[in-house]
Amino acid sequence: MDHRKRVIELSINDEPYVLAVEPQQTLLEVLRDSLSLTGTKEGCGTGECGSCTVLLDGKPVLSCLMLAVECVNLDITTIEGVGSIERMAPIQEALLEKGGVQCGFCTPGMVLATTAMLNRNPKPSEGEIKRSLEGHLCRCTGYNKVIEAVEATIEKISDTHE
Amino acid sequence: MHLPRFEYFQPSTVEDAIHLLEIQKSGARLAAGGTDLYPRMKYGLTRPESIISLRDIPVTPPTLSQDGILNLDAFMPIKEVVNSRVILDNAPLLSEAAGRVASEEIRYMATLGGNLCQESRCLYYNQGHNFQFIEPCFKRGGDLCYFVPKGKKCLAVYMSDTAPALMCLNAKVNILGSGGEKQIPIEDIYSGDAKHPLELGPTEILSQINIAKLTGSAGWAYKKFSLRGGVEFAGVGVATVLQMGDGKKVCEQAGITVGAIAASPLRASNAESLLKGKEITDSLLKEAAKAAAEEIKVVPHHGYSTPYLQEILRVQTHRALGTAYERVGVVSQK
Amino acid sequence: MAELDFVGKSILRKDGPDKVTGRASYTGDIKLPRMLVGRILRSPHPHAKILNIDISQALKLKGVKAVITSEDTLGIKAGFVETPRYPADQYPLAKDRVRYVGEEILAVAATDAYVAEEALSLIRVDYDPLPAVFDPDEAMKEGAPEIHPTHPKVKEPLSNIAGKTQSEWGDVELGFSESDYVREDRFESHLRTHGYLETQITVASYEPGNKLNLWTSSMGPFLKRAKLARLLDLPVSSVRVRKAYVGGAFGGKVDLYSHEFCAALLSMKTGRPVKIEASREEVFTAYRHGQPLIMEVKTGVKKDGTLLAQQIRVINNCGGYRGSGVVVIFLGWGYTMVPYRMANFKYEGYAVYTNNPVRGPQRGHGAPQMRFAVESQLDIIAEELGIDPIEIRLKNARESGEQLPNGDNVHNCGLKECIQSAAEHTQLKEKYGTGRTTASPNGHIRNGIGIGVSSYMSGSLIYPNSSSVSVKMNDDGTATLLTGALDVGQGAETILCQIIAEELKIPFEEIQVIAADTETTPVDIGSWISGNAYVTGNAARMAGTEVRKKLLDLAAEEMEANVKDLVMENKSVWVAGSPDKKISYRKLIGASIQKRRGDPIIGEGHWRTMRDEPFHPSLASTKGRWSENYAFDAQVAEVEVDTETGQVRLLRAVTAHDCGFPINPLLVEGQVDGQVSMALGHALMEEILMKDGHTLNPNWLEYRMPTIHETAKSEHINVITESYEVGRPYRTKEVGEGLVSALLGAIANAIYDATGVRLYSTPFSPEKILYGLGKIGRNQKVS
Repeated sequence: MDHRKRVIELSINDEPYVLAVEPQQTLLEVLRDSLSLTGTKEGCGTGECGSCTVLLDGKPVLSCLMLAVECVNLDITTIEGVGSIERMAPIQEALLEKGGVQCGFCTPGMVLATTAMLNRNPKPSEGEIKRSLEGHLCRCTGYNKVIEAVEATIEKISDTHE
Repeated sequence: MHLPRFEYFQPSTVEDAIHLLEIQKSGARLAAGGTDLYPRMKYGLTRPESIISLRDIPVTPPTLSQDGILNLDAFMPIKEVVNSRVILDNAPLLSEAAGRVASEEIRYMATLGGNLCQESRCLYYNQGHNFQFIEPCFKRGGDLCYFVPKGKKCLAVYMSDTAPALMCLNAKVNILGSGGEKQIPIEDIYSGDAKHPLELGPTEILSQINIAKLTGSAGWAYKKFSLRGGVEFAGVGVATVLQMGDGKKVCEQAGITVGAIAASPLRASNAESLLKGKEITDSLLKEAAKAAAEEIKVVPHHGYSTPYLQEILRVQTHRALGTAYERVGVVSQK
Repeated sequence: MAELDFVGKSILRKDGPDKVTGRASYTGDIKLPRMLVGRILRSPHPHAKILNIDISQALKLKGVKAVITSEDTLGIKAGFVETPRYPADQYPLAKDRVRYVGEEILAVAATDAYVAEEALSLIRVDYDPLPAVFDPDEAMKEGAPEIHPTHPKVKEPLSNIAGKTQSEWGDVELGFSESDYVREDRFESHLRTHGYLETQITVASYEPGNKLNLWTSSMGPFLKRAKLARLLDLPVSSVRVRKAYVGGAFGGKVDLYSHEFCAALLSMKTGRPVKIEASREEVFTAYRHGQPLIMEVKTGVKKDGTLLAQQIRVINNCGGYRGSGVVVIFLGWGYTMVPYRMANFKYEGYAVYTNNPVRGPQRGHGAPQMRFAVESQLDIIAEELGIDPIEIRLKNARESGEQLPNGDNVHNCGLKECIQSAAEHTQLKEKYGTGRTTASPNGHIRNGIGIGVSSYMSGSLIYPNSSSVSVKMNDDGTATLLTGALDVGQGAETILCQIIAEELKIPFEEIQVIAADTETTPVDIGSWISGNAYVTGNAARMAGTEVRKKLLDLAAEEMEANVKDLVMENKSVWVAGSPDKKISYRKLIGASIQKRRGDPIIGEGHWRTMRDEPFHPSLASTKGRWSENYAFDAQVAEVEVDTETGQVRLLRAVTAHDCGFPINPLLVEGQVDGQVSMALGHALMEEILMKDGHTLNPNWLEYRMPTIHETAKSEHINVITESYEVGRPYRTKEVGEGLVSALLGAIANAIYDATGVRLYSTPFSPEKILYGLGKIGRNQKVS
């Protein structure tokens, strides 16, 4: 068997990375272990909790089930590319203000899934919000305040646009 | 959790993929979205020597032929199935079932073909076998069923949401292989044996799904029973189509198919016949639901008992028929 | 009373920005040079002798740096409880014998996970399987397989008794004989888990020269340090457990686990950092879950609903070792003692060894189970007597100033107000009973409403018996708070900063925190036992008071004024009425250094519950005091039952709680919502399925934790019974555990109200409801 590493180029948060990976390495492993982009979390590794969500060309995917070699030529967005302490994205501010964050482990995945949803549809219904976040387990908040935060973000965005 | 090592191929045509399958023989696995395969690989349930990724193969958008056949590329992501206008207009039952698959992220990653070609599942099988379960069961190449120790066969359950919908729509699938292409009814891809639920050969790829469009006088529904509204697989999944006559009162043709209760989706033929040619009333739908629960013997699975699933099958069939009847005349969901 | 600027305000959490931007560093995010990966080999057998372990092939594998078995340890046992009566009973690595599937046999450290896992596959362990027992009723029988000998002080001829709690007051037989109605029921609860999103994980890094550094996902570093030092025979001061963010705990990360010990020992053996991360599957199969209890409850009442006598027998299926099993049977007594007056009471609790994985604390630590039993039975009794569920509760509810049978006092108690306001807010009296009799517009749907009540202690006595906080002033007039408390998501750091901000009138944002580092921060009991807001909070308040006093004394001196005339605000002090002549803290600190022989102004505070009690109450006899601070709550559940599928939806949960006062209302609401969600999961969908000691559903797909679809509307009513005054001790109450506890009973009562089906066991699964409705036959088999 051929286990030689391949050199790939990834575009993450608008930054180019060139690195050697083995084919079985998941995007999650590469982000966390090779590139120290540790904001993306592993809660199960088998696609059941949503903690590892990142965006590929704007679409939310589970980085624990994506091979890194499959991500070349795609724009990867991780939590590190969404906002900063000084300039938070509206959903980040809203999660903070509404109390949608407790332990914070599921938060990066929630932020990315919400970002993808709102980019696609800035005025989702409650049903659409729930469908978009149904794969994100959160034990701390019971989701109420997460929903409030998403709704506040929707309002904030529509205010800025109008 | 990490994946075991493998060799990786990323062909850009289906033909190249088939060629690679021929060379690699049984050591290779196709990966479409990978959401079914990779967790099993992480658990050590399958250790392919090589992975042939189908990700680079271009996806043809859905088309509707002159004679009303909807042609779907099997490599279409589930999310695109859900979003597709042409599917919503012509096969809304599939849109509804696809919308209930797993979670949003998985719907973006997984493909329609992959959803059909998923493995059957059971509590014993779908976990790592490092320490707590060591004895290989039928599905892991051994000679026992953990839950039915004296049983002679594997009792894993095939849990696709889209499969019962497609079977209900009498879909046909194209299979590409070294021997060329064939088109077969979707029923024929199932072996009925949970150990290897699919009949596909080692060098075959399910490449296309073809569905005759639903007419305006049809109603449909997919009812997925699960304890939670998202993420999990179905306890029972029931798909129904009521094809009504011109007056929209008499049922010309009924489709009732059930998923997540056996090694393949099953058709409730007796129940279907009961409805054919009859004027629809609620008591008739109840009778049909009862017939479905009598003719289909469920396999208990994932914490649900036989009597419970049998009853849920009846209830969900009744509800799915009721919704289908309500939707008669509504061309699409929107 | 002076207006408060920080305490009582919904100030945004201190750690929030780090968490929403992904900057927060959890244990798994720590990467150290030359770090090795550790993996643990676990028992496949529920009960077996270990005959031989052959590690020779693994040691030959390139990249394997160390393999440790029990032979490499000092042979010291550990336990959640380590008392003379209940000495530690579990080796960190099994020696000679295993008692549950998943028990740790050995650990390897290797250069990467592939090598570590291959090494495990090369290790050969020979076992001699022994008869095993999983059901506590079976395990107690004479002749059952002996997992451990019955505790020497238990005199009954029962097998496998890990511990027993006995308590009584009054004369229970007399009470029953004087009762108008006596009722006896048996309730059972099931196996549920914590559901923390971050798995168990530890990084250990040993520095030659005797310093062991550890980052570990925990609920407080000090207990981990104490236990680890003892097992490794290191001076406590040689072990440094440091802060990392924690991805949820809920009771599951209190005790020291084998993987933490193994990471430490492997690091000491190899001289390199070692990381051990449990897979999600290991967390489900081999780590500790909550406690499944069997509860037999016999209650006698007068016709008017006055509770006269209660006799309770609790059996805890506690797994292969004691874990917290003997604590839960003690707590079961406490959870029934507090909420209602009961003249005659007799309690027996048994912790029974079985060949199941060990159990540990889980949010509520037995309270949800006990309250489910008692509150369910109370509704049954009320119905028999023709009294409504509110009246019977109000009749027996504790009131302010009552002394409990163990000598504790409830002080200010808002339980009656909780019950009344929850009932009024939901119109419970009007709705109750209508679910069963009113035909719903949607045929198969039935609605129901139910109430449950609970009380929970706000801190109790356990090692290390102290929480201490320091506050040091910085030259710029800001303050830095040092606390051993660990923020596990509940907001510990935030509320402590609010208290310091209030005491010192320094803007919240300008308070720095250094937390949860055994080397640099003062000791703290940890974020468990529900004492953070009260116990650690008072320590912080006391430290703040000390600094405040120094600042005011200096200001009085500098300004030639009287301390009582001084006003503090925004890092300055002035004489009331002359805000233009103010002196800044910066200047005061300078003055202090000049005039107080270099005093930079540092404050220290410490607190613990039960200041005059030397010890924890006896786990065996309940003698001794338990807590000086009790929170109370009433929760109302409104449910919708689909009588065709048996599925229940929790539509609305109203929590009325005597929380003392909320230090941070937004954080309190977060605690309420989280507990409502957890209770709904435990009530309706979550269950660890086990067969012969094996876990059947070790994943999130089939362990059905609520998703965003199941969210119930959660409403909060804060019943305020205490207040905060600058410079004075306060008595606020816990909000993190009691509110998961009343809802289980409330949901059971609401299901009964909707359907007439009384459920005596959790979870309230659709199968049980359809069975209760006579729609399906019984089938207990799981597959």
